[in-house]
Amino acid sequence: MTKYAKQINAKDNVVTAVSDCVAGDEVVVKFGGAQTTYTCNQDVPFGHKIAIVEVPKGGRLVKYGEEIGSATTDIHKGDWVHTHNVLDDYMCLDKDGKPLPGQEG
Amino acid sequence: MEFYGYPRPDGGVGARNYVAIIPSVGCINNLCAQLEHMIRGTKAVRHDQGCLHPPADTDQVVRTLINLGRNANVGGALVVGLGCEMAKAEQVYEGIKATGKPVGMVVVHEIGGMIETLAKGARILVDLVSQVSAVQRERAGLDRLIFGTKCGSSDTTSGLSSNLVVGEVCRLMTEQGGRFIQGEICDIMGGEYALKKLSVDQEQGERIVDYVRDLYMRGYYVGADTRGCQMTAGNVAGGLTTLVEKALGANAKGGEVPIQGTLDYAETVPAKAGRYIMNFPGHGFENLTGSAAGGAIVHLFTTGRGAPNGNPLMPTVKLCGNAKTMKTMSEHIDVDVSSIIDETETLGAAGERLYRFAVDVANGRLTKCEILNFEGMEILIKGPVM
Repeated sequence: MTKYAKQINAKDNVVTAVSDCVAGDEVVVKFGGAQTTYTCNQDVPFGHKIAIVEVPKGGRLVKYGEEIGSATTDIHKGDWVHTHNVLDDYMCLDKDGKPLPGQEG
Repeated sequence: MEFYGYPRPDGGVGARNYVAIIPSVGCINNLCAQLEHMIRGTKAVRHDQGCLHPPADTDQVVRTLINLGRNANVGGALVVGLGCEMAKAEQVYEGIKATGKPVGMVVVHEIGGMIETLAKGARILVDLVSQVSAVQRERAGLDRLIFGTKCGSSDTTSGLSSNLVVGEVCRLMTEQGGRFIQGEICDIMGGEYALKKLSVDQEQGERIVDYVRDLYMRGYYVGADTRGCQMTAGNVAGGLTTLVEKALGANAKGGEVPIQGTLDYAETVPAKAGRYIMNFPGHGFENLTGSAAGGAIVHLFTTGRGAPNGNPLMPTVKLCGNAKTMKTMSEHIDVDVSSIIDETETLGAAGERLYRFAVDVANGRLTKCEILNFEGMEILIKGPVM
């Protein structure tokens, strides 16, 4: 059975699996009239993300054309991308760009 | 394409032709429910507010009730007051009357008890329904459509399918001159700067960020970090990694359509075509009320696991991208977009399909939650209850 993942925006460096994928699976992404195949390096469940390019440690993960977090380790093409290798660094900021209280740690 | 709606004296075009029964305070919900049960063609907009609020919340309740009466799905209204409440029935009555729609009012303390008020209110309603039911649907341009949107009981498929399909409808309908109301500040949290970038006016864009700051600080004052209230264990298990990712998936209901402006809760949407952000919460009851008060005549409600609720005055279209939910909850879902997940339909085609369905609903087709009588309503309150 063909495994699929979805890309949402041309700027994205991750795609989202819409099949349950296991390590070694070939995953098809249809986007913008083109079809690309990536190989999963790990198991990636339905709804989870796969990197489609190399993202170095500290690099930004992009989905919906926007940055969603930063890589806490080098992420390779085909890697499962989730909380184990991405930092959620969103903070609610005041008008001067300083974090509002209560967001320590 | 065009649609057939009910013309209103203030220029609005409605998808439904109700006589609204509007209590100024929750104490008389029971009376309004009795009237609704008794008189055909009426909808009681029961809520639990209207008294013992700080002044800003009383103003918000009054604004909401007036603007619900102004919604183009309402042809006329009976305002029901108790007599001692903070939200004054007279003010609601005058606000709706200014539209030129027929409006009546009964106040329980003035008439003396529920039974006499029921009789007097019922007689007024008979006249109102007779008058309003004579209004005929007329051909109207798609520029007269106002849609609202929200997501609820969401899952992984929401941000990958149904929300993107609504984003297509937002693009299509605003290109035709329609207006589109989006909000859910809790879901925007994390994606507020992305929406600011889409704002045609940066001052308005900054207001979107302010709405998020205000929500964050209100959580902070009760000891909560509302960032954490948004990302659930279920979200993470489902594959969502960060709050920004979740927010962007929710924001996708407007696609990349430019944002014309912002609206306070239950504020009337301006006449200019395009996408607007309203300061309404994610919670369905207050959310749908805000959308209806803003002027939306049809609401597009995406769901992953199957949220059943709707609003008494505004038909609510449910769409779902989860094939399993389509099997288990089909009686609650109007439009199946699981085709996006299994790659059998393009986003553009699904967007056209949903748009056509929503126009059918504007023409009179009943939604599943209308058929099932799944309706509820509440008004957003921000301050303490006294």
